[in-house]
Amino acid sequence: MMKYAFLVAKNLMRSKRRTLLTISSIAVSIFVFAALSSVPAVARQILGDTASSLRIACHNKAGLAYPIPEAYRSKIVATPHVVAVVAESWFGGIYHDVNDQFPNLAVDPEQVQAMWPDWGISDEAYSQFTKIRTAALVGPETMKRFRLHVGQQVTLRGTYYPFNVTLNIVGVMGGKSPPNFLLFRRDYLSEAAHDQGTVDNMWVRVDQSSSVPEVIASLDEQFANSPAETQSESEGAFLGNFMNNYKIFFQIAQGLGLIVIFTIGLVAANTAAMSIRERRAEIVVMRAIGFTSRTILALLLAESMLIALLGGIIGCGTAYALFKIFSFNANVLGPFGTLALPTSVAIEALGAAATIGFLSAFVPARSAAQRNIVEGLRAVV
Amino acid sequence: MAENRMIEVDRVSRVYLRDQFEVHALHEVSLQIPAGTFAAIMGPSGSGKTTLLNLIAGIDQPSNGRVAVGGDEIGGLTENELAEWRSRHIGLVFQFYNLIPVLTAFENVELPLLLTHLSKAERREHAEIALRLVGLADRLDHYPRQLSGGQEQRVAIARAIVTDPTIIVADEPTGDLDARSAEEILNLLVELSRRFHKTIVMVTHDHRAERYVDLIYRLDKGVLIGSEPGGLAADGKAAVEPRAS
Repeated sequence: MMKYAFLVAKNLMRSKRRTLLTISSIAVSIFVFAALSSVPAVARQILGDTASSLRIACHNKAGLAYPIPEAYRSKIVATPHVVAVVAESWFGGIYHDVNDQFPNLAVDPEQVQAMWPDWGISDEAYSQFTKIRTAALVGPETMKRFRLHVGQQVTLRGTYYPFNVTLNIVGVMGGKSPPNFLLFRRDYLSEAAHDQGTVDNMWVRVDQSSSVPEVIASLDEQFANSPAETQSESEGAFLGNFMNNYKIFFQIAQGLGLIVIFTIGLVAANTAAMSIRERRAEIVVMRAIGFTSRTILALLLAESMLIALLGGIIGCGTAYALFKIFSFNANVLGPFGTLALPTSVAIEALGAAATIGFLSAFVPARSAAQRNIVEGLRAVV
Repeated sequence: MAENRMIEVDRVSRVYLRDQFEVHALHEVSLQIPAGTFAAIMGPSGSGKTTLLNLIAGIDQPSNGRVAVGGDEIGGLTENELAEWRSRHIGLVFQFYNLIPVLTAFENVELPLLLTHLSKAERREHAEIALRLVGLADRLDHYPRQLSGGQEQRVAIARAIVTDPTIIVADEPTGDLDARSAEEILNLLVELSRRFHKTIVMVTHDHRAERYVDLIYRLDKGVLIGSEPGGLAADGKAAVEPRAS
C-alpha cells in the first residue's frame, strides 16, 4: 500500500487551504474535547489511585466546614491498627494576587512522612520541616507555577484567616503523583490564629487495608453522642465525596466535548463530500484504468483519516503542551491533583479524530467508488 | 484466421434502462478485429459507438451475446475481476484526456503501473520509456495545466501504453484537438499499431481519421451497417478481413 502514499499526499495538497482549514478545525475540536475530558478523567484516575489507600479521613459529621477538637488525636492514636495520625487545617491563602490561588494546608509535622510516603519527601527536607516552625513543603507544579525555589521566603495572604503567614520553603514534594499544594506547620497557624484547639480534620493511617472498615467504625463509635460527632471515610470515599461537588461540571464538560466532536464531524463530512464530488471524474477514470472500487475507497478514506489524525495529534499536543506550560490547572481539582492530559484521554481523542475521518468520508467515498463507470464516463469523457 | 482474432464480438446487444424506458444501444452486433489492426468505429451520435467500445474495453457488460478479447471471455467476470483484467489488457484514451491534474506527466503515466507488481525503479523506467515514445521525454515533471491539448493527449496515450496492454481503446481521441494536433495523435496511434503491433480500436466522428486506419466499422442506431478498409489497408500496409454482421 505504500506505493499509493504519494497519491494520498498529492491529493491532500490539491487544495492546501482547505486541507489546512480542515486540519485546524479538527485540531481545535480535539483540543477542546481533550481539555474538557481531562478534568473528569484525572479525577477518576485519582480516585482509582486512592482505592487501595491505607488512609482514612476523619472529619466533623456536620460537614467539612465544621472543625473537630484537637483532643481527638490522642484517642485516635490509641485505636487499634492506627499507625499514624496527622491533624490538618485549611489555610486557603493566596500568593500576591487574588488569582494566585492554590491549596495550602497546615499540618502537624511529626508524622507527615509516615502518613504520605508516596509524596516523596526527602529526609533532608522533612528534617527541616520538623525543625523550623515556618517551614513549608511545596508541590512541584506550584513551585513551577510561581517560579519558587527552595530557600525562598513566601508570604501567603489570609482569606479565611485575618492574617498572613510568612513561610520558608524547605523542600519540594515528589513521588509518582505529587500533590500540587503547600504544606506548612499547624503549630505556626494555631499560634497566629490564637486557636482554641480545633482542627479541620484528621488523617489516619492504618496498618493494612483490611483494617480500614474496622477503624472507620471504631472512630465514629468513639465520638458518637459527643458535641462533635465524626464521620470517617476511606481516602477514596473522601475524595469521591469532595469531587461530587464538581460532578455537574464534569458532566457538562464531557457533554460539551462530545457536542464539539459531533459538530466538527458534520463539518468534516461536508468538506469530504465536497472534495470527493469535485474528483468524481478522476475517480471514474481511475476505475476505468483498473483500480478496484475497494482500492479507491481505501485511498479516499486514508486521505480523510490522515487529515483527521493530523488534526487530532495537533489538538492533543496542544492540550498536553498547554497543561504543561501554563499549569493553569492548579485549582481545577482542588488539593487533590494536578490537571494533565491522561493517556486514556489522548487515546480517546485520537480515536475520536480517526472516527471523524472515517465516518465523514465513508458515505461520499463509497458512493464515488461504486459509481457505475459507464454513467461516470458519460459525464466526463 | 481464427487464431489471429484479437477482438471477437458475437451477436452483442446492449439495452439500458433509463427511468422506465428501455434504450436499445446496440442490437446483435458481431465483428472480429485481427491482432495488430488499427480499427475505427464510426457513425452518427447515438449510434452506439461508445457503447461498443465500452463493451470491448470491459467497462460495460452486454445484455446478450459474447465479447472476447485476446481469447479472454469477459462476459462472466465479476467487477473486481474485470478491473484487474482491464489493468492488464486495456489501454484507455479519452476525448478530454482525463489526466489527474495534481499529478505530473510522469506520475499520470505511472498511475496504471501502481496496479502491477513492478518495483519503483521499474515503474520509473517503464513510464519514462512510454513518455519518450510519445515524444514527451522532456515534459516528465510538467503538470497537465502546463501542457497543450495535444501534449496532454500524448501523456494520456503514454498512460494507455505503459502497461503494454493487449489492446488500446480510444474514444474520440482527436475530438478536442485542432487539426494539426489531431494529425499528430493519429500518426502516433498509427506508429503504435505498425511499429509495436498494437491492436487499436478508436471511436471517432472525424472523417480525416479514415485515412489512418486499417479498418472502419460503421454503426447506425445500434446496428453495424457495414465495414470497409481504411486508408492504411488501401496502402497495402494492413491485412484485415472486414466482415459485416
